[in-house]
Amino acid sequence: MTIRVATDVGGTFTDLVSLVVDPATGTQSVRIAKADTTPPEFERGVMTVLGKAGIPLDRVDFLAHGTTVVINALTERKGARVGLITTEGFRDVLEIARGNRPDFFNLHYRKPPPFVPRHLRRELAGRISFKGEELTPLDLSPLPGILAEFRAAGVQAVAICFLHAYAEPAHEARAVAAVRALWPEASVVASHQITREWREYERTNTTVLSAYVQPAAARYLGRLKSGLTEAGFGGRFYVMQSNCGVETLEAVAETPITMVESGPASGVWGAAALGRLIGEANVLALDIGGTTAKCALIENGQVKLSSDYWIERTRVTSGYPIMVPVIDLVEIGNGGGSIAWLDALNKLHVGPQSAGAMPGPAAYGRGGSDATTTDANLALGRINPDYFCGGEIVADMPAVGRALDALATPLGMTRTEVARGILRIANNNMVNALKLVSLNRGYDPRDFTMIAFGGGGGMHAAALAAELGVRKVVIPAAASVFCAWGMLMSDLRRDYVVTRVADFTAEKADDVAALIAETQQRAHAMFAAEGIAPSQVRFDVYGRLRYQNQEHSVEVPMPAGPLDAAAVADTTARFHDIYQRHYTYRLDVPVEFVGLHLVAAAEVGKLAPSPLRPTGRTLAATVKGHRSVDYALEGAHDAAIYDGDMLEPGMRFMGPAVIEQPGATTVVHPGQQVTVDDFGNFHIQIAATEG
Amino acid sequence: MPDAAGAAIDPFTVEIIQSALQAASDEMFAAMRKTAMSAIIYEVLDMGTGVTDAAGELVSSGAGIPAFVGVLDKAVKCILAHHAAAGAIAPGDVFATNDPYYGGVTHLNDVVVAMPVFAGSELIGWTAVIAHWNDVGGMVPGSMSTDAKEIFQEGLRLPAIKLIDAGTPIGAVFDILYANSRLPDYVRGDLWASVAAVRLGARRVAEVAAKYGTAAFAEAVRRFMDYGEQLTRQALASLPHGRFTLAEEQDDGRRYQVTVEIAADRLTLDLRDNPDQDAGPSNISFDGALVVCQMALKSLTEAGTVCNAGSFRPLAVLSRPGSIFHAQPPAALGFYYETEIRLYDLIWRCLAQVMPQRLAAGHFASICGTVIGGRHPDTGRHFTIVEPQIGGWGATHAADGISANFSAFHGETFNCPAEISEARNGLFVDRIMLNDAPGGAGRFRGGRGIVLDYRVRADGNFLTCGYTRSRVPPWGLAGGQDGTPNYIEVRRQDGRVERHAFATGVRLDGGDVVRVVTGNGGGYGDPRQRPRDLLAADLRDGYVTEAEARDIYGGP
Repeated sequence: MTIRVATDVGGTFTDLVSLVVDPATGTQSVRIAKADTTPPEFERGVMTVLGKAGIPLDRVDFLAHGTTVVINALTERKGARVGLITTEGFRDVLEIARGNRPDFFNLHYRKPPPFVPRHLRRELAGRISFKGEELTPLDLSPLPGILAEFRAAGVQAVAICFLHAYAEPAHEARAVAAVRALWPEASVVASHQITREWREYERTNTTVLSAYVQPAAARYLGRLKSGLTEAGFGGRFYVMQSNCGVETLEAVAETPITMVESGPASGVWGAAALGRLIGEANVLALDIGGTTAKCALIENGQVKLSSDYWIERTRVTSGYPIMVPVIDLVEIGNGGGSIAWLDALNKLHVGPQSAGAMPGPAAYGRGGSDATTTDANLALGRINPDYFCGGEIVADMPAVGRALDALATPLGMTRTEVARGILRIANNNMVNALKLVSLNRGYDPRDFTMIAFGGGGGMHAAALAAELGVRKVVIPAAASVFCAWGMLMSDLRRDYVVTRVADFTAEKADDVAALIAETQQRAHAMFAAEGIAPSQVRFDVYGRLRYQNQEHSVEVPMPAGPLDAAAVADTTARFHDIYQRHYTYRLDVPVEFVGLHLVAAAEVGKLAPSPLRPTGRTLAATVKGHRSVDYALEGAHDAAIYDGDMLEPGMRFMGPAVIEQPGATTVVHPGQQVTVDDFGNFHIQIAATEG
Repeated sequence: MPDAAGAAIDPFTVEIIQSALQAASDEMFAAMRKTAMSAIIYEVLDMGTGVTDAAGELVSSGAGIPAFVGVLDKAVKCILAHHAAAGAIAPGDVFATNDPYYGGVTHLNDVVVAMPVFAGSELIGWTAVIAHWNDVGGMVPGSMSTDAKEIFQEGLRLPAIKLIDAGTPIGAVFDILYANSRLPDYVRGDLWASVAAVRLGARRVAEVAAKYGTAAFAEAVRRFMDYGEQLTRQALASLPHGRFTLAEEQDDGRRYQVTVEIAADRLTLDLRDNPDQDAGPSNISFDGALVVCQMALKSLTEAGTVCNAGSFRPLAVLSRPGSIFHAQPPAALGFYYETEIRLYDLIWRCLAQVMPQRLAAGHFASICGTVIGGRHPDTGRHFTIVEPQIGGWGATHAADGISANFSAFHGETFNCPAEISEARNGLFVDRIMLNDAPGGAGRFRGGRGIVLDYRVRADGNFLTCGYTRSRVPPWGLAGGQDGTPNYIEVRRQDGRVERHAFATGVRLDGGDVVRVVTGNGGGYGDPRQRPRDLLAADLRDGYVTEAEARDIYGGP
């Protein structure tokens, strides 16, 4: 018996998916469970959901875990007191930041304050050049005095970031060793342990934020691990990362900041994995939750990462950079709980404010008086008032009517007209977000299949797809616990991003080849420490190339073989093509190499799901009834209502229809065809539209 | 019959069309930012994008900085006027202008590229991009010289010309452009980035019109502008009404004056009583003055994201041709931005006296444009740093000023990281720190400027700069103290120190340090009323010395 489990701590629920395989028969069984999330002792919710699902912990050999502990510590400002040690002349970099002011007509702009105040930002002499050469030796003599003052000021974690440490980390490494020797109880992290990219503000802030969350993350993971061990767990334990991979507990404890976007990453990774399973290589992943919608693009089965990631960055504030490889996604404030409101001139807007879980949409009957997207969906019959939240909540339809009237009256409209308007504007916001990850980056959405999940994914996906010209939407069978499902499909993965500027020519190719070899050795050494043989490690190597003098680069896959003249020419040609796709033109100027992105991955227990076996149930047996459903643009239609949990592989039907499941509702528009695949996923064929 | 068709459109369709037009500007902005060759475009964001209607009225803009929001409509209107013959503007055409006397608004370095958008044979709008090019020829590298007396010395003039004819680039024009720049590779890269951006935007706008029909499109645009106008009027109504005048002495001893009249439905700015146009490059065009007044209106009224021609309808600007704020050809305009921000700061100061709860004390209020050029000692390639500086902002009635931000002329502008600057330019950045000079004390204190040291590694480099607020410091408000000035020091290897504000082609040799010092913002309120916990934090963090705490803040 092989048992693999993934648990995902979300804002409201802690989800679990487990896959049990009987090695004798090869039979698979999937188990899904949900329990309440239990802040601040999140590990309690995890133990509860494991118990609820009846997981025999002593027999589990693989457990993947996703947690919001890092992002929570950041957004709630509940991290440690950090002291920063940096290069002489640069202690104010953290406060100066980049000098930008996104809300540029606002003369009362507030700059986000640094996470370390000035008196806890200290300097050491010593300089490395951008070529990685030592210009001035590191002077550690002030360190004992600095640490004594840190201690007196209640500092718990030390961050170290020196200029050009991405090129040569020797000074940082010596400083880390010295801090550890002088003050073994403090947690300490240096920038080169997290990233080898240039830009001192971004790297310094990343190091500071990692130090800030380190004690909280270490405490949480420690408590969870001991809880699991006490319950008999002796298998391998992995933690979900922002780069769509899982990582060992030891590595995560050192640089926990890499967990910052692990939740969204697991969902997108799930979409990529599901795409591979069902033969869809090009995927638009769409995750609609209670407060936000997130979307990402998957090309040829590959997720896209970016290290230009910022938290709390909006149209009106600059936010804080975190320079780690993070799933490249666009997130907007449009979810089921997003509030519809009128501005002073009676223009209707939806979001980004959300009714949250308390009071929630008006339909929750908890005193919420604002109409939300969910309320509009209820009013239009798209959500079943008698099966609201899987039947757990009685929808307060009079409250929905009052909330809609508050908008309809000033607009001189009916409730239905306003509900349709809310839906259209919410959908338009999401269409714009989907365009940002596709059209804006040179991809035609018509070449992609949409995989939609989260509580609201199925409710909106078909309309969004039709608007974008997407031909097919897939709603996963495990849509309601899809992030946990994605974790189950993850590899042990590490992304190495290294800045190194060189002309990209046959003559200089040896430098690039040496950098690749050196980075691969670093990766092998790290995997070897965990008992993973070099033969198990798979590399994907990307060069970050640009036209000479440009700043922004594109990632180009590097050839597997030797980097000879032919390979350089081949890669350069590929660069021109990729560049042109993104930017519509190509230039006849020299090409520069600015860095390496090396992905090292090793499989640590993924399982290929096996097809379901139909019981022979008839389609008619899955129909719960009929009701009038308003499709906004297409108007109201009498729709068949299907019980999603009863649908079986091979079943096929036409819209107008609604598929209801305990955690998700899927709306199928007139003329759209649904097919259930071998794994229980719903495929919705969108009628071809012109344009 | 747009009215008949318009009446049939529901408000949500209108909203969706408007949002698509805003998205088109944003998308052009993102594309331009990613593809530009010059750091001043992709890091400093000296650029803007926009969509106008067929007549050149601004519909939406994707801007990095407020000073470039209201520029593109003026360029499109000039292109329309200069190509008025039937058939002179056709699908696939692309136009360019950089001349402030031909709709270019700013100075010759800022090149506007604009493309008409057609639905069939009907002109329905324009997409346009403005971006700062590193070098457009002229008497000095970088094209901006403090010694320029005429616009002819400031580079190649593109007087609203056609660049691409029905999709076919006009080879001769491109050849002239490349031949007239010291950095033709940058010109090539930045030009094609602009062309790509306007083509992308034009495609999006055309798609919207095709999807909803041109009548619905025109109606949505019309209502969008009305919405902008209503937002402005609503905000104007809530301001104190009356007529206010302020005169202020400048660094060079000249006196600038503004009279502002606020009424419920109109903001009038009278700039007539001002000095004659400058013999040097510190002039601005009337369009330039208009952009400044639009910025002031926008900051005063509705600072949100909707900004179109309607937003500016309630604005009237009175000027005197031949004055520094309404220069006539062939006056030079290379350093237009320092005069524009002087005017902006003057309007701000005038109104801050009347509404101190709404407006902060004075900020360092200079672009502090800094140009350092020479040969990279490692690659031998020519480099030029062209960058504005960050400085201190003024305190408000409720908070300290922010430190080290770009001026009110900038917005989503990013400074250049030292690590990138050292590699790209082959000089050392010895330090970048907050300016600890005393100044800007108050109940709430001004934000800090910076001290930034560039040490050049090779002989034969040069420095050009244009800083104002170098003698007359940022102003305090409501009893707060004035801030500190902006200036540059060249610290020679032999120990000599030269101070500069406006200079062209100062020679720099190996080991010389260029020290950029930007001002601390003005304070707000009496320093002796500063909350003691804030003062204690200032002392701990070194923002205030023991002596200042005692002498200015009245003890700890």
